[in-house]
Amino acid sequence: MPRVYMNRPFGSAQGPRIGNNISFIIMINLFKDIWQKRELILILVERNLKIRYKNSALGFFWTLLGPLFLILIYSLFLSVLRFPMDLPILVTGIISWQFLAMCLGDSLYAIVGNANLVTKSAFPRIILPLAMVKSNLVNFLLSFIVVIGYLLVKGVDFGALYLLPLIILTQFALCLGVALIFSAANVFFRDTEHIMSIVMLAWFFMTPVIYPIGLVMDNHGFPWWVSVAYFLNPMTGIVSAYRMAFLSAPNPGTEFLMLSFTVSMIFLLVGLFVFQKSEKLFGDEL
Amino acid sequence: MDSDKIVVKQMSKKFRLRNSGSSSLKAAVMDMVIPGKRSKREDFWALKDINFTVKSGETLGIIGSNGAGKSTLLSLLAGTKTPTEGSIETRGTISSLLELGAGFHPELTGRENVFLAGAIMGLTRKQMNERFDAIVDFAGIEKFIDQPVKHYSSGMYVRLGFAVAVEVDPDILLIDEVLSVGDIDFQRKCIKKMNSFREQGKTMLIISHDLHTIQSISDKILFLEQGEVIGMGDPDDIINNYESHSREDASSSLQREWGTGEVTLTGVKFSNADGVSQDKFNAGEAVTIEISYKASCAITNPVFGFGIADAEGHLVHGSNTQIENFDTGTINGDGSVVLNISDLALASGNYLFSFSVHSDDHTVNYHRLDNHYSIGVNNPKRFEGSIYLPTKWEKTVNNE
Repeated sequence: MPRVYMNRPFGSAQGPRIGNNISFIIMINLFKDIWQKRELILILVERNLKIRYKNSALGFFWTLLGPLFLILIYSLFLSVLRFPMDLPILVTGIISWQFLAMCLGDSLYAIVGNANLVTKSAFPRIILPLAMVKSNLVNFLLSFIVVIGYLLVKGVDFGALYLLPLIILTQFALCLGVALIFSAANVFFRDTEHIMSIVMLAWFFMTPVIYPIGLVMDNHGFPWWVSVAYFLNPMTGIVSAYRMAFLSAPNPGTEFLMLSFTVSMIFLLVGLFVFQKSEKLFGDEL
Repeated sequence: MDSDKIVVKQMSKKFRLRNSGSSSLKAAVMDMVIPGKRSKREDFWALKDINFTVKSGETLGIIGSNGAGKSTLLSLLAGTKTPTEGSIETRGTISSLLELGAGFHPELTGRENVFLAGAIMGLTRKQMNERFDAIVDFAGIEKFIDQPVKHYSSGMYVRLGFAVAVEVDPDILLIDEVLSVGDIDFQRKCIKKMNSFREQGKTMLIISHDLHTIQSISDKILFLEQGEVIGMGDPDDIINNYESHSREDASSSLQREWGTGEVTLTGVKFSNADGVSQDKFNAGEAVTIEISYKASCAITNPVFGFGIADAEGHLVHGSNTQIENFDTGTINGDGSVVLNISDLALASGNYLFSFSVHSDDHTVNYHRLDNHYSIGVNNPKRFEGSIYLPTKWEKTVNNE
């Protein structure tokens, strides 16, 4: 007997859905789809990385040169301005923030920029933002090598390095969740770009990137809702956790990373839900 | 049933037409804030209540004029769009070549794009390596395979797209208008490939405006018009149906009718040598045209005329009873005149026939029907222009 199976080009070409009480099954199918197309994800990640450095003389070296120059320039800046901030704290903050910032920026074009693929072939659309976040993860990990090299030269006290996989997983989930929402939104609303730049600016200052978290924790003058928003922001926990792992920063503790992990997972679930709901119309809009 | 590869049931597709895309967020917010007062959006049904089944090993041709919904139907089957109502079921892997050139990325080389397309189909790198040579060979672009596809000519682009779509060995192949691009050589290669595809018992859906090819390659033809199925079945029947449809459409815009009305032309019947009424003739065939008239009073020596125009309305030939020295005598009441054309020496195409009746001295036009009758002509001889003149060639050799 030949193997007969239903080819359901992404989420099946069925009209009305049978309700959402089977979202668990949908989720399992989604993971199955993604696993089946892992080769495609790999090729897309490769493509994204290749295109980023296409036509540049130094090519892939920019991945390493970027953070290197970032460290140099900030060290110059800090010594000249005598800004009261430790360079290792600043650098770990900025590099980990950049992972999110790059994902958000690229998410606008994850679907819209691949219109030729979306309108010409059927595959699980989620692969596009997923591959985008993965290629940014590769970039992020490479720049972290530079940062670790710098920290070694600096002779800092490394802390709970065993937490790194969990921290990176948390940030990956957050980046993917937010990227899913923005990549889908940009298909329908071209205002997304402008909204995002506002969100990012606010988010940046709500996260201890260019200041240590101690600055906020020691200050009790904020209204309660600002504090709640500040600590529910998963990036607060993620950035602090990186500092905990690399610099033995005392604050704010592992429980706080767990909170960030939970909130990031909620972002991911919301992202998946939004994406799943809207992807059927991508082909019509593009 | 297992042998049904594609089952489409009561499927409809609606598109939303927006007046301006930029205000869509504003519109969406307004819809949320002010319920009941929905922003004005026009709906457009691209496909309406489509039902058909394609069995394993069948080739289905899809025809219809521009905007009939052919490409939308194919993208729904490919899964890049989702039906608004009804369902589409497909069994097996689908490979598609929609609207020229699979989803190639312009910055990537031909090679990289081939592997990307393979991965989309779910093939592993190893499987693609095995097929790679065959793909490059079929597309005939060995020299350019490592160049970014943005430097490719449109022909190379389509050739590579077709090669990939076919060589990934799908169960179902969907092809949108590939035959009209590329040179004759490539078209022949495509048709050969599609034929071998058929012989392997695979299922194919093809859109083409090249009626001749689609007629020869399809087992069945689906005729779409304005999003609805006009007919589906035997290729010859459906193509005939389609041709008379498009002839009617073409003539309607050029039709004119006027006259004083003392005589009216009540009907025109075209028939072949066997007296069978038809609207499509082969070149060289004898055509008999019976023109019926009704005269409200006695008219002496009325002149009956006819004109033949090409599909654009340019006159190809025209004549009348006076030029041919045919004496019509006096007419009163109902009657008919018969025009015999012994050899319809026209090039292949559609022609619009006009008929008229006017007074002996050309001062009164009783009735004129311009471009009212559309007739198809099939001519195997491919000469230039519309009318064929019998010609003979000779050769003389001058010895020095």
